[in-house]
Amino acid sequence: MRHSFNLLSLAVLCCVTHLALADEKQAPAALPPAADQQIDFERDIRPIFAKSCVSCHGAEKAESDLRLDTKAGAATGGASGPAWAAGKSAESLLVQYIAGTSDSGTVMPPEGQRLSPQQIGLVRAWIDQGAAWPDDAGGVRGSSHWSFQPMRKEAPPAVKHPAWVRNGIDAFVLARLEAEGITPSTEADRGTLIRRLSLDLLGLPPAPVEVEDFLRDNRPDAYEQLVDRLLASPHYGERWGRHWLDLARYADSDGYEKDTPRPFAWRYRNWVIDALNSDLPFDQFTIQQLAGDLLPNADTNARVATGFHRNTLLNKEGGADQEEFRVAATIDRVNTTGAVWLGLTVACAQCHTHKYDPIQQREYYGLFAFFNSLKDEDIPAALAEEVSAYQLAKTAYDAEHARLQAEVTRYEQATLPARQAEWEKGVDAQSIVGWNDARIATAKSAGGATLEIRPDSSLFASGANPDVDTYTLVLEGDFAGATGLRLETLSDAALGGKGPGRTPHGNFVLNELRVALVAPDADALAADAGQLVALDKAIADFTQKQFSAAATIDGDAKTGWAVEGGLGQDHELVISFKEPLAALAGARLVVTLDQQHGGSHTLGRLRLSTTTAKDPLVLKGLPGRYLAELAKPTGERSPEARAAIDGYFRSTDKELQKLQQAVDKHAKRAPVDPNSTTKAQAFVELPKPRETHVLIKGDFLRPGATVDAHTLSVLPPLTKRGERPDRLDLARWLVDPENPLVSRVTVNRVWQRYFGRGLVASSNDFGTQGDKPTHPELLDWLAREFIARGWSQKQLHKLIVTSAVYRQSSAARPELAERDAYNTLLARQNRNRVEAEIVRDVALAASGLMNQAIGGPSVRPVQPDGVADLGYSGSVKWPTSKGADRYRRGMYTFFQRTVPYPMLMTFDAPDSNTTCTRRERSNTPLQALTLLNDPTFVECAQTLARRIVRETPAPAGGVVDVPGRVRHAFLLCLSREPTTPERDALLRLYERQRALCEAAPAEAAKLLGQAESKADEKLSEQETIELAAWVMVGRTLLNTDEFITRE
Amino acid sequence: MDPRHESLLHARRSFLTTFANGVGGLALASLLKDDGVLAAETGVSADAATPLAMRPPHFAPKAKACIFIFLEGAPSQLDLFDPKPKLNELHGQKLPESMTKNVRFAFIQKESAVLMGCNRKWQKYGPAGMDISDLLPNIAGCADDIAFVRSMHTDAFNHHPGQLMMNTGVPMFGRPSIGSWLNYGLGNASNDLPGYVVLTAGRGTSGGASNWTSGFMPSTYQGVLFRNQGEPVLNLNSPSGLSREMQRESLDALAALNEERRRQLHDPEIASRIASYELAFRMQSSAPELIDLSSETADTLEAYGVNRADEKDGGKFRGGAPGVMRSFATNCLLARRMVERGVRYVNLYHASWDHHSNIDNELPFNCRMADQPVAALLKDLKQRGLLDSTLVVWAGEFGRTPLGENRNGRDSNTGRDHHPNAFTLWMAGGGIRGGQVIGKTDDIGWGVVEDPVHINDFHATLLHLFGLDHLKLTYRFQGRDFRLTDVAGKVVNKLLA
Repeated sequence: MRHSFNLLSLAVLCCVTHLALADEKQAPAALPPAADQQIDFERDIRPIFAKSCVSCHGAEKAESDLRLDTKAGAATGGASGPAWAAGKSAESLLVQYIAGTSDSGTVMPPEGQRLSPQQIGLVRAWIDQGAAWPDDAGGVRGSSHWSFQPMRKEAPPAVKHPAWVRNGIDAFVLARLEAEGITPSTEADRGTLIRRLSLDLLGLPPAPVEVEDFLRDNRPDAYEQLVDRLLASPHYGERWGRHWLDLARYADSDGYEKDTPRPFAWRYRNWVIDALNSDLPFDQFTIQQLAGDLLPNADTNARVATGFHRNTLLNKEGGADQEEFRVAATIDRVNTTGAVWLGLTVACAQCHTHKYDPIQQREYYGLFAFFNSLKDEDIPAALAEEVSAYQLAKTAYDAEHARLQAEVTRYEQATLPARQAEWEKGVDAQSIVGWNDARIATAKSAGGATLEIRPDSSLFASGANPDVDTYTLVLEGDFAGATGLRLETLSDAALGGKGPGRTPHGNFVLNELRVALVAPDADALAADAGQLVALDKAIADFTQKQFSAAATIDGDAKTGWAVEGGLGQDHELVISFKEPLAALAGARLVVTLDQQHGGSHTLGRLRLSTTTAKDPLVLKGLPGRYLAELAKPTGERSPEARAAIDGYFRSTDKELQKLQQAVDKHAKRAPVDPNSTTKAQAFVELPKPRETHVLIKGDFLRPGATVDAHTLSVLPPLTKRGERPDRLDLARWLVDPENPLVSRVTVNRVWQRYFGRGLVASSNDFGTQGDKPTHPELLDWLAREFIARGWSQKQLHKLIVTSAVYRQSSAARPELAERDAYNTLLARQNRNRVEAEIVRDVALAASGLMNQAIGGPSVRPVQPDGVADLGYSGSVKWPTSKGADRYRRGMYTFFQRTVPYPMLMTFDAPDSNTTCTRRERSNTPLQALTLLNDPTFVECAQTLARRIVRETPAPAGGVVDVPGRVRHAFLLCLSREPTTPERDALLRLYERQRALCEAAPAEAAKLLGQAESKADEKLSEQETIELAAWVMVGRTLLNTDEFITRE
Repeated sequence: MDPRHESLLHARRSFLTTFANGVGGLALASLLKDDGVLAAETGVSADAATPLAMRPPHFAPKAKACIFIFLEGAPSQLDLFDPKPKLNELHGQKLPESMTKNVRFAFIQKESAVLMGCNRKWQKYGPAGMDISDLLPNIAGCADDIAFVRSMHTDAFNHHPGQLMMNTGVPMFGRPSIGSWLNYGLGNASNDLPGYVVLTAGRGTSGGASNWTSGFMPSTYQGVLFRNQGEPVLNLNSPSGLSREMQRESLDALAALNEERRRQLHDPEIASRIASYELAFRMQSSAPELIDLSSETADTLEAYGVNRADEKDGGKFRGGAPGVMRSFATNCLLARRMVERGVRYVNLYHASWDHHSNIDNELPFNCRMADQPVAALLKDLKQRGLLDSTLVVWAGEFGRTPLGENRNGRDSNTGRDHHPNAFTLWMAGGGIRGGQVIGKTDDIGWGVVEDPVHINDFHATLLHLFGLDHLKLTYRFQGRDFRLTDVAGKVVNKLLA
């Protein structure tokens, strides 16, 4: 960090000077003097032309036939003649025009900022020095910039001390060092090496036993063995997956105002981890993420990979223009693709042709076109382990289901017919419940609904849909001896949610049901007509919680019967009368249905029937018209009667019910298909692609000329499979071995992770304004090796970490501080503070708290109170995860874009809003406070203390070896033995803390926090004081610079 | 030098020189640089070891500190600072189509939208006759110190992009906010506190932490969110059972371990780590002292309204979170206390001023909450001689429309929509010439007709007050030099005293 920051500062200074100079508005009266320096055309001159001249003298328009964008064009000159005469700047037209001293009086550029005297001085010096203009890449690709040139085939150079060289990397680095007369640093000690490797490859510190094993391993290839073992660990995929997620701007929420959670974002993260662990070659890794959906026979896995570009922000704020934000997301996809694979700031070309790099605005929208016809889609994406668990459970379930079903069938075939025959023999019409459909003569709706009586005796409500209603229904028929009334509420496709009620979702509430018996000659619709029938009990086949059947006859108009949970189905309510009716012939029943709940909770379709059965309180009774057929032999019954009678008997057979219930109960435990619960964020191409336009000044409301999908002309041409090139063509074009950027950019970024700085320091900018490579031959050799080794990332890692360069000590070398302040020559390793997630991981690992589970949904570990409240309108929730989920690695912490986890942000985790190719490393008091006091780190210190004490018990009858404990604590946290001053400092700390704790034992007890199990921990006061002192020692170790540094 | 400051500095020097094994001269130098003692000699630009070292401005500054009061949601300028009698005359009439044709609204239905008058009473204040509505009587009393900019305009019309625009100069994620730029440019003048502090009252802002981000700059420069309840800084309190003496002992041991390592490896970054632990230790005592108001007089507390009770029905307003009256007043007082202690940029937030409906009740409520403490802050700063060097800004992310809202055609929506074309913010102190109005809007407040001030211009002016040239204050990132003012901005000279 220190080094790159200093570079930045330097750059700022340079630029400040430049701007200050450029700011001078006054045109010079006389010709400014030529600059007194050696001119580099690419560095000094091309940017001036690009910024001030090329918009009029370039490919788009060549005013006065002059072009200043290509060597050939410029050398030819324009309508007024040659632009310059080499060696004679004062006489050159170009200089006279930009200085305003030409005879015509014209000053170039005619609009905008004029060139400063210093810029003019640079142009003069360039002409005076011969106007050297490097060839434009053989005149083909239009740029002579190094990164656009083909990778060179470099063999590792010869060196004076070949014994030091372990692989090609070392030869390149050593040759350079030897040329400078510098010797490389010695190899780091073994303890440092294993911690370095473990942190770099896994993001975890080595366990003390691993350190000891490695220190004792005398095999000549012990180091290589260790590298192989670490690369095979599944934690490797986590470590390098997290690096990739920085590039993918991964987060678990949408961003912007609403910042809605993305419950399936993690599925893509799982893919990344798996892909790295299986060492998916980088070209395939690229193709699947950019165009997995377009691969022939694209499987789920390949489509999950496309989640890379679903990590864009999404604005759901009211009034947001969806097209604006779709365009913004598409722009982000283009910019991210450019930054991640090409290492170019294509974003600059969004609004104008790139000032420095050979990227036209039209070309930018050519890239845009590849991504312009995507539609977000969440696809079923169960994990393999979920599927196999499901299949296992499903097989067991199906077997049990079949067994239960077979029991039903066996019973139905073997026993039921005999039982039914038996029953039919003894049955009489009185003992079974037969329902006679009532004929509704008149139906009235108090609320004005239209009540239509249908041929099947049902009543259908339509028309006006009042909030509340009362239906008054006059029934005609023979009611003598009637013992009960049945109300069937019927579903109907014409009703909301298929009914049976009239709310949009199909519910109703029947508050009260009254029955009155009206004498033959009385007016049935008169108020209080007839005699109220005393009702006894009410049952229903289905009731909504707190809306029981009994509520319909309880005289309380506020309570009622309803059926939510069973909407869209038929239901029935059966009511028994206290006494059988003594009805005269011609008497009528008036049934009143009160529905006062409000919100149109009224009945949509219903049917009423009566019975004379002795005990009417039976559900699924037999329609009365089939009663007569009971007397007939089975073979002579009508098919409908047979079905009804059989059905009725089945509903009364307790044994069958029991068997059927077992089937139903089991069905509720059916395993859930994980494809319905685990989804992944992917996208599909629209069937009809959108037309792409250049957006003038990047404004989505100002479309310019239409553009077809195409790639940058400065790079090798695109091969397309069909008429129109698509994303798959683009992805394959990127990883074509001829592409000079992708491999270079990728190996450079990997190198940056290992040395804190890339061979190209500006790992995000390989353009003309970026840094030049410190070791260009090494960069090309590595880039070619990467491709030659089948794009294997694991092999690339192995190549780097087994080099002698990597294995050097990271101690600073004061004698080189002046000559090589930023260690660009690599005469040593660099010390780097570990990334935010790893800060958490090393603390969890050292204390033993860590849950090492890999993959799965994000978790919400403890964070200080009140943090989530800062989200919009309290919409951000942070239900702290429970149990082992609290101790998962930092990379699984739920990333809420507007209120990110404070600990991660304090340690410079990227905000995930745009791609991050290189993290900053700051060093602030808030970091100190986090490590000292954040609940997670305090808990780590407490647990670490218990671990130290537990793992170094006093020998039986002996005393505790305190220096031995200090040594063990050191091994746990720093993977090495303490030096004498270090050991003494900690021993002194332990003694002093113990004395302070002894003075306040009650306070000391608080320092211990919550033990994992109280029952296991019964401490004496002395033990409490000692443990508290170890908490302080542990906390100190967890706060050392070394603890969070990869040495 | 403040005697308190001096004794702390002395304590620290003696700690460093007498401390076991002695922390190396390098660490001491870096710590002294933190104090600004060495800044003049070295004149260094920000480097990683001492990113908060004091750095000289480009020219003599007027302002040393800024208190930026951010009214999230966008207050209505038409009901507070920019009266439009013509709008009252045209109340209920449609705007000509030519005016709304190319304009987007968040919620207004263009076809049926009509102009909405203002129900406020107005009065002129100060020699310049500055119009301020009856909702801000206390702030009106400070008119002589305040400059209105009625001709503000912005590029964003939705809240979050608008807030990013106001705070970072572009309506996108990822750029550093004003406070980050100031601390990057000038360093941290406080010995015991961060240079950029954020305080919020009421419910959260829609942009959250992205409003005080350091963007692509190191997080050293990001706003540190102090809270006015519980710990003022996250994780400031030591764990339960841990005394300050134990903390001092363990930090000494920690420094010894770190120093031992530094001696072996010669890495100056370790010195920086040691320094950060020392500032953290000082913050553990300075931050609680900062928020402890017991040393303030009863009159001061009364003036700010620190003990104001919530209004009885305050909870029904969008801006009315529990305890908001108290916490907003406390934040204003804390802002003054921070400025006294060298904090360079204090950002106060309150949400929400997004009055799409019920504006005649919601806006008065928010004003009752804000008016008294903000006015008290201005008077208090002035009385203490701090206003000359402290810039106070009152702003939201944009303004509100002269058209009334008619969302879903409901009459109950009496409010205004988002309006980026013309709005008012005000500034006071810190080199601002008070008692004047900059810029003018048309008869109904639709557009700017005189002296338009873009947010980039406002930022250029703000930096100018701090002695910084907005064209020179650059940060290189991804191959480009970035500025707070993006690619535009010019200083509004009329604002300067």
